[in-house]
Amino acid sequence: MKRLTAILAATTCLATAAFADDERIIVGFATAETGFMQAYDKPAQDAAMIRISEINEAGGLLGKQIEVVNADTKTDRAEGAKAGLSVIDQGADMVVVSCDYDFGAPAALAAESSGLISFFLCAESIKAGIQGVGPNSFSASVLAAVQGATMAEWSYNKKGARTYYRLLDTWTEYNKGICDGFDYMLPKLADAKLVGEDTFLNEDASIAAQITRIKSLPEEPDAIMLCTMMPGAVSAIKQIRAAGINSMILNGSGVDGSYWLSAVPDLSNFFVPVQGSIYGDDPNPEVTAFNAKYKEVTGGDPSTQYVYPGYVMIDVWAKAVERAGTTETSAVVAELEKMNGEPTLFGPRTFTSELHHQNQARYLIVETNAGKPGVVDEWTISEPIPVADLMD
Amino acid sequence: MARRPSTASVARRTIVTPVLLSVLLVIFALAAWAAGSRPFNQTVIDIFLQVIFVVGLYTFIGNSGVISFGHVAFACLGGYVAAWTTIKPMMKSSAMPGLPDWLMQMEIPFWAAAIAGAGFAAFWALVFGAVLMRLSGIAASIATFAMLAMVNSIYSNWDSVTAATSSVVGIPIVRTVWPYLVAAVLSVFAAWAFSISRHGLALRAARDEPTAAAASGVDIPRVRLVAFVLSGAIMGAGGALYAHSIGLVTPDTFYLGLTFTTLSMLVVGGMGSLSGAVIGVLILSSLIQILRWLEAGVAIGESSFALPGGVQEIALGVVMILILMFRPAGIMGNSEWTGRLPRFAKPGAPGPDNRSQPTGDQT
Repeated sequence: MKRLTAILAATTCLATAAFADDERIIVGFATAETGFMQAYDKPAQDAAMIRISEINEAGGLLGKQIEVVNADTKTDRAEGAKAGLSVIDQGADMVVVSCDYDFGAPAALAAESSGLISFFLCAESIKAGIQGVGPNSFSASVLAAVQGATMAEWSYNKKGARTYYRLLDTWTEYNKGICDGFDYMLPKLADAKLVGEDTFLNEDASIAAQITRIKSLPEEPDAIMLCTMMPGAVSAIKQIRAAGINSMILNGSGVDGSYWLSAVPDLSNFFVPVQGSIYGDDPNPEVTAFNAKYKEVTGGDPSTQYVYPGYVMIDVWAKAVERAGTTETSAVVAELEKMNGEPTLFGPRTFTSELHHQNQARYLIVETNAGKPGVVDEWTISEPIPVADLMD
Repeated sequence: MARRPSTASVARRTIVTPVLLSVLLVIFALAAWAAGSRPFNQTVIDIFLQVIFVVGLYTFIGNSGVISFGHVAFACLGGYVAAWTTIKPMMKSSAMPGLPDWLMQMEIPFWAAAIAGAGFAAFWALVFGAVLMRLSGIAASIATFAMLAMVNSIYSNWDSVTAATSSVVGIPIVRTVWPYLVAAVLSVFAAWAFSISRHGLALRAARDEPTAAAASGVDIPRVRLVAFVLSGAIMGAGGALYAHSIGLVTPDTFYLGLTFTTLSMLVVGGMGSLSGAVIGVLILSSLIQILRWLEAGVAIGESSFALPGGVQEIALGVVMILILMFRPAGIMGNSEWTGRLPRFAKPGAPGPDNRSQPTGDQT
């Protein structure tokens, strides 16, 4: 046992030869390299790396090259805290944490207590930021509520939808967030009516009972707001269409991607809000160019829009560092909070001292028609969702 | 009771084992302090928490021989007590609006939360135990598992009091290793004191020879209940400290994953032995840590060497199988680590309490 302890102590001494260095700018990734979160973290992290190499090729940040250090959270909360501390010890100036709030928070809290900026790769809960971590924490994505609100307002204005049915999968906060945004927006739309609502669980094999209730409405609703995510979303959508319900289906960004469409052949009248298009038809040609670059670097096309927030994250952070002239936390946070409609490849971004997340954002609307997804429109909700409404 | 034994022999049978185990824990703490690396420090904190959990499990499983799959539920109870009592009232009111007013206003230091967590878990262990301890064998194991599932369901759905499946954040983070060391040492002493106490000896007698023990006047459900409550308290304190080590709690942290990790550590160390519980954790955790370093890559001279990701889990499984192949009763079997046996105790060597405990693979 003593020998083991000695080996342990010796190995530790070897492992701690890292020092913070003012000559370098270091971004620390405390993200999942193994476990199920890897499927979410890796694509966004690849996109972040693309932005970092672009900046480095253009001469770096404040004249210095950006370096990267990594630690694996193993999709485990306790390991997440260690991974956060590990990249901080390796001199990180900014800590990037897992996509999901629950799994990213331990590392973000470690960064917060060390007085460093933390960025969630693509978390869409309001807690991923000031509200759930502290004043130096940000999220690179857009609140889930904005997705629900966007779909409600867009379908009302552009598709003439008046009767809505709300179907919520209570599995995750993300799902609830989408429906919260929908609930916020609906009363603001004159003569829009909620004709019914229901809940189910992602793992439910059958939602026959819920479908029966939709079928027994006197008239088929114009639109069904479906607040769910993978993997249960596919089965729910399939069952709704198989039952002969042809209402338009409105969703959050979580069902973006064409990888699952073969499971529901010839799906039509199906709408998803996205930050950028992976289908090669983004109105901004630079997004299509980014997709090509992503394919060149990783060997595959982006599979969903959740690749993009990683790019946005490095983009806005680097701009703030450039403007502040330093990587010092309070100066960079102050610059980030000055951003109001800051243009990025994937729409404008705003941070305030109250909210380090997007409560209003430009979304592209992707329609799937006869099994083919494509961008048909874009929409920005008429006013930001107030923070007070997001907190309950 | 026969002749009075010599002082050295009494010491060996009583205090030596917990002292040696505590020294071992102190060595780990000093290593963390000397290394000065925060991730390593956090790793040692994690090891101490696991020591607390596994010692908690041992207190019940080791002494009663009833395998419990439900003890992590008590860690869950303790963890949420830490959340209820240490988060700033303002944050609490938005995350958990259903808390009673007195609890909402409460803001106590982490050590008090650990004690409160232990107390709360012990109370529920008493309630559950009063029913469950009447069962034996596999029925008791399944019932404890049901208890775990029940607690998990309640905590995953009681939105206004536990914030359901959302992470509860804002628990003050304690990143120094010493409080965890103190808690681990205290739990080792508590477990040891129980196992040499009258109730502990009676319980072990009931484990090995239930009929004879009952015939000798041992009230089996009652002695089991005492162990259940004590182990619940240890798990509760561990759960509260776990919450303080990472700063948040969710119900799924305290579910199957933690149950099986801690149980396997106990099995590998030796279910019937406190030394086994502690040494099992230390060996497996050290092994996990070394494999993780190798996965992350180690520089050897010019070149660097790294294992492919995921090897850690596989290697850990293989090592556990090997240990159980060659030492089916775990590393320590049923024996304790005393001064007389500086390395590993041989099965069959005189344990500190071989009066009530036949050596061998009885658990």
